Amino acid sequence: MEHSFLHSKKLLLVDDEPELLKMVSAILADEGFQRLVTAANMREGIAAVKAEKPDLAILDVMLPDGDGFSLMEQMRAWTDIPVIFLTARDEAADKLAGLGLGADDYIAKPFLPQEFLLRIYAVLRRCYKEDTTVLKLDSCTVDFSRAEVNKGGEILPLTAMEHRLLETLAKNEGRIVTVDTLCEALWGDNPFGYENSLNAHVRRVREKIEAEPSKPVSLLTVKGLGYKLLARK
Amino acid sequence: MKAFGKYISKYLLSFFVFALILLLVNILAFALTFGGIVSREYGSASPANMLEAVADDLSASCISEERLQELNRNQIWAMLLDAGGRCIWEVSLPEEIPTQYTIQDVAVFSKGYLQDYPVFVRNIDNGLLVLGYPKDSFMKLTGNYFPIRAIRIFPLFVTGILTIDILLLFLVYYFSKRKIAKNTEPIMASIKTLSTGRPVDLSIRGELSEIADSVNQASQVLSRQNQARANWISGVSHDIRTPLSMIMGYAQRIAKDHGAGGNIQQEAEIIRAQSAKIKDLVQDLNLVSQLEYEMQPLYKEPVRLSKLLRSYAADLLNAGIDPKYSVETEILPSAETVVIECDARLISRAINNLVQNSIQHNPQGCDIFLSLDCLQADISITVADNGVGLSAEKLRELEEKPHYMESTDERLDLRHGLGLLLVRQIVEAHGGIMKIANGTCCGIEIVLIFTKETA
Repeated sequence: MEHSFLHSKKLLLVDDEPELLKMVSAILADEGFQRLVTAANMREGIAAVKAEKPDLAILDVMLPDGDGFSLMEQMRAWTDIPVIFLTARDEAADKLAGLGLGADDYIAKPFLPQEFLLRIYAVLRRCYKEDTTVLKLDSCTVDFSRAEVNKGGEILPLTAMEHRLLETLAKNEGRIVTVDTLCEALWGDNPFGYENSLNAHVRRVREKIEAEPSKPVSLLTVKGLGYKLLARK
Repeated sequence: MKAFGKYISKYLLSFFVFALILLLVNILAFALTFGGIVSREYGSASPANMLEAVADDLSASCISEERLQELNRNQIWAMLLDAGGRCIWEVSLPEEIPTQYTIQDVAVFSKGYLQDYPVFVRNIDNGLLVLGYPKDSFMKLTGNYFPIRAIRIFPLFVTGILTIDILLLFLVYYFSKRKIAKNTEPIMASIKTLSTGRPVDLSIRGELSEIADSVNQASQVLSRQNQARANWISGVSHDIRTPLSMIMGYAQRIAKDHGAGGNIQQEAEIIRAQSAKIKDLVQDLNLVSQLEYEMQPLYKEPVRLSKLLRSYAADLLNAGIDPKYSVETEILPSAETVVIECDARLISRAINNLVQNSIQHNPQGCDIFLSLDCLQADISITVADNGVGLSAEKLRELEEKPHYMESTDERLDLRHGLGLLLVRQIVEAHGGIMKIANGTCCGIEIVLIFTKETA
């Protein structure tokens, strides 16, 4: 998976357990994240958001001088960076779901490091586009800024729908994207019964990006679930 | 509850029977007391017998010695009046009794007394035979006449009054029973609810309010204990979470650290894997106890199950699953657009527990099948695999034996974790059922069935 462009993002960690901060920092550093800021309480957290302008905040729900929810509300006054909550209670997750506070994700403790990283990548990918807008596939390159496919020198323009479809898949490169997510990206909420239209768009995209559209190697069908886009190795 | 109703019926019925027995006993006592006196008075010295005997003697012109003795023994006097009212024959006639009577005198005494002597008369050939019994030996009813109509309706009256009495008794029994049942029904219902461990709030006025208060108190004690238990579990699991995160984090770092050496890496991997098991247990334990005591609010919303299942399967595959396992998802066309009210997070959790079970019990690898079907009002989510499956015995055990969380049995079996119990609780909280069976060819098949109306 192509994550490297995300490693330049600055992450803020707020947790009152210094040991946990140390470990999470180590895991993130191992993974390649270089810019990490930590804070032990709400006050330090707000100061860090103001001073460091992080790209993502990972907040513990229980802080000594308040809770993560109010920290997020205060932060929201001047920034809308994505927020992931770390919760030690199941109820906290329920509260998030119930209140619809607008957090991007929550991770319940205890967590496995790979699960933790996966969630962070998912949120970052959703919120930040890769700087280079060119995606290299097996038999072509896709230039999202110009909505073009360059297949061996031949320039093929992408329609708005094809562009959105490819972009959604590219954001989740190497991962399965369900038909539901794709339909929502293309037609908005409640896209019941658009599966056939989706198939048609996929077929046209394949004609543009695949060397042999009947034997796709970049845009793969995952039976029963959705599609997966694979970048050139 | 039914048993209690029966108990009341039986109790009231015994009153009813007792009343009847009492009546019979009274009649018997009456018969025993008066039977002797009456039968004695109707013996050979009774007025009727004596009149007949004396009359027979007189018609044979002379009274026997034996009859005279009998009259004396019983202190009876006798006289014979001729047609003119004159006494022509007498035996032990007291002095105060006159020997001449007018027709008015005869009419008066023949009905009752002569100088306070109860007298009895008999018409014979030679005149009127009069027997006088000792004073205060008989009471004569001087006005003993009844209208014939009254005598005729008497049997009807007696049967009627008896029928009405029995009917009234029965009505008293019936209404008493109904009233008792009505007053005790809420109490019985509450006790039944309490016995399932759920809290009750009973409000009854009147004589039984004290019982209602006791039931409410018992319910509160139960609730407090449940709350304390759930809080305790929640507190412990909360405090385990952060340390466990660190154990898992560092174990994974060591496992991936190539500088650590193969052995150490392997051991760290074992720590990581075992910690992951504790993690699942902690998460399940808390949720199970919350659901058990109905403290977990359900965030129900309309959820399209096909989307939920695809999203779950995609997340599972995207998270990277060991290539020994394959996951296949099939959503039948009839189920594609089905929407039910449910807590999506809990349903995903249930599906995940089943999938993780399949993975854990088949370390050699297996194919996992997820499917969604809709048959009329029943929506079924099936999680199946083609792995080792279950023995018939184990299957029966799973269905019949209460989980150790719910049993007070000493022989706790902790090896099986909480996975299935949690799934069952989640399904039941949504008004559904869980079915466990061996797969059609091999492996295991677990079906979660929800109903459109109840879910």
